[in-house]
Amino acid sequence: MTTTLDLHTHSEASEDSRAPVEAYLNWIKLRHVERPVDGIVLTEHRQFNREADYRPLEDKFGIMVLRASEVETNYGHMLVFGVNDDMLARFDFANIRLDAQTVIDEVARMGGIVVPCHPGRPNIGLYEHYESKPPLEHVVAVEALNGGSRKGEDARADELISKFGYASTGGSDSHLVSLIGLCATRFSAYIKDIDGLVRELKTGAYEAVDFRPRRKVVPHAVAVETR
Amino acid sequence: MKKFDEVKIGDTLGPLELTVTKDQCRAYAKTSGFGDVAGRFTDEAAAKKEGLPGIILPGNMSLGLLSKLVTDWIGFGGARLTRMGTTYRVPVQPDHALTIHGFVTNINPDDRTVEIDVWIENEEAERLVTGTATVEFPK
Repeated sequence: MTTTLDLHTHSEASEDSRAPVEAYLNWIKLRHVERPVDGIVLTEHRQFNREADYRPLEDKFGIMVLRASEVETNYGHMLVFGVNDDMLARFDFANIRLDAQTVIDEVARMGGIVVPCHPGRPNIGLYEHYESKPPLEHVVAVEALNGGSRKGEDARADELISKFGYASTGGSDSHLVSLIGLCATRFSAYIKDIDGLVRELKTGAYEAVDFRPRRKVVPHAVAVETR
Repeated sequence: MKKFDEVKIGDTLGPLELTVTKDQCRAYAKTSGFGDVAGRFTDEAAAKKEGLPGIILPGNMSLGLLSKLVTDWIGFGGARLTRMGTTYRVPVQPDHALTIHGFVTNINPDDRTVEIDVWIENEEAERLVTGTATVEFPK
């Protein structure tokens, strides 16, 4: 049984989004034929809400809602999966100048995993930083498909994937309700919680999937026919 | 005229396809009073000097185009566009084929409001300006 998750989403908890989580789930239900995702991971900017409880919404819609965070480092933005109290004590998630290598290594040591997101984007993506700094160590995967990518950004991500052998994830990076689920990650395993997601992300055995209506050709991604 | 009871989540607005000319862009900037102080809206060379690809649309002009999509959808005499928030992701250039999309994403029966996602897209399907709008229907 496979699991398809949109690994990169922002709800109204992020300062640049007005999308309520319930509206996201309602939209996924409405568009499930075109964007067949089983769940979403909320990756709010520079924060992690450990108190949030989305179980009633999960039950109402039958769609999984997991929580992670998008942090900012000296190598660009990165998604942190498996956030726990140790990580929150170790790092100030609001700090926009976190040291990427430290975050990657420490998060791994504390049981999580870090995935650099939109690596092909200018200024905040890994690709540009690799042009002036040494490559990071212990990176397992990068976001190969980002629903907000401009022309060429996903191709630059693919260059990194080819060169460094990273695994590929996908996420919509949605800040609007109607953009949820445009890109996602398909796992060959059944995932039911954040621990399972972290475990699978560490294996590297998954693929980025593209549900955008006008699809681009990205060699490491699987184009899914939806219409 | 759009009626509240007829609106459903997932309803589509548009798409509205259009091209804004450089002359329209210049006229808007000058009418708005910043044509002379901000060459990026009126002068190709001045815009390029700022690192832009050429003349770009003023942000308010993009906002106006997004608003038009919503007010056209509302029709005359009923609901009102009461709020619009925008994010300017990429400069919008004149003389390019633009498409403006909108989707109803939420309906609040208590206050008879409707939430709408809107965005302007270029030929490459890049979302240049994104936003949300609130439409209030008469009680």
